[in-house]
Amino acid sequence: MTTITWNDQQPIFRQLKEKVIELIIDGEVSDGEAVPSVRQVAADYQINPLTVSKAYQELVDESILEKRRGLGMFVTESAREHLIESEKKHFLEVEWPKILERIERLGMNLQSLVNNNTSTGEDK
Amino acid sequence: MSTLIEAKGLSKSYGSHQALKSVDFKVERGRIVGLVGPNGAGKTTILKAILGLTSYEGDLTVLGMNPERQRHQIMQKVSFIADVAVLPGWLKVANALEFVTEVHPNFNLERAKYFLGKTNISMDAKVKQLSKGMVAQLHLALVMSIEAELLVLDEPTLGLDILYRKEFYNQLLTEFFDEGRSILVTTHQIEEIENLLTDLIFIRDGNIVLNATMDEVTNDYIEVMVSKDNIAQAEALNPVMSRDVFGRKVYLFQGVSREQLEVLGELHSPSVADLFVAKMKEGK
Repeated sequence: MTTITWNDQQPIFRQLKEKVIELIIDGEVSDGEAVPSVRQVAADYQINPLTVSKAYQELVDESILEKRRGLGMFVTESAREHLIESEKKHFLEVEWPKILERIERLGMNLQSLVNNNTSTGEDK
Repeated sequence: MSTLIEAKGLSKSYGSHQALKSVDFKVERGRIVGLVGPNGAGKTTILKAILGLTSYEGDLTVLGMNPERQRHQIMQKVSFIADVAVLPGWLKVANALEFVTEVHPNFNLERAKYFLGKTNISMDAKVKQLSKGMVAQLHLALVMSIEAELLVLDEPTLGLDILYRKEFYNQLLTEFFDEGRSILVTTHQIEEIENLLTDLIFIRDGNIVLNATMDEVTNDYIEVMVSKDNIAQAEALNPVMSRDVFGRKVYLFQGVSREQLEVLGELHSPSVADLFVAKMKEGK
């Protein structure tokens, strides 16, 4: 995993959890693949093992990771698909309305923005 | 037994100076506890009492034993790295290993050799030929090879460069720490280990002024950057401290709900260093 700069607005376990989700969505860690051990992650980021366990546990609760006895923690088989579904949902329900609101507030026209993008695409 | 250290009314006086004024605290198993305070606050006195190196008043139990009377038994289960290097300069690394093997029943020689094999330290080298960072590596290899339940670290990374400091904590996390053991650490480089800690104890003038888990600290202390219009509202909520940043006020609140604070501005968790400064100034 790459280095993380922690922000002070969210607990570290939540930021770590989001980082793992990001890695799975980006395909850096594939379905069924093992994730690094709690101890390893703790040492890599110099954070408390309990923090790592807490992040992993939430991911287990959400069926993104699963514990295999004696082997460690693995990404579940359909984790990526589920995550993309829920991210799409989040985008449509939370992020998109905000973007739309901003477009309107700035007096831009959604249709022309879309057309503009397509036409520059065709120019190339 | 899940409590490794328990102090009740722990006090210590040097002549007329009261170094510890009846402090209470506990260290549970599986925790990494940061003991933080300015110079002369009483940190070293607490560590010395735990290690049976000084007399004290009050009750102190370490691994269920009395450090004053059962120091020998306690030290079989406790290891210690001091800020002052204690290994004599003429000692060869190989001799140091032999020595610890003889005096410590729970020392694992093979483990120590394995740790040293990962460093550039040669068995034939004398302590005085080693760099400061290497001496710290040697100390660490020795104490990590003792099957201890409690590791006491007093300014363990003082004078080490950042690479050695990171490597030091990296080793502790991968090779030593687990749920059956605890680490009690004092350091002035608090920002480097704040994410490692599970518990935080602040000490000032012989009194404990903060004793909480990191989760409690995160829930209890919130920093808010407040714009000019909201200053009166913020002051009404009795902030612990305020400081100026870019002409705006940053307030630190204790025990005020997030909902009440959210309307004032963006919420942050204070760093342990900021919290420390606030706690040391409180009431002064």
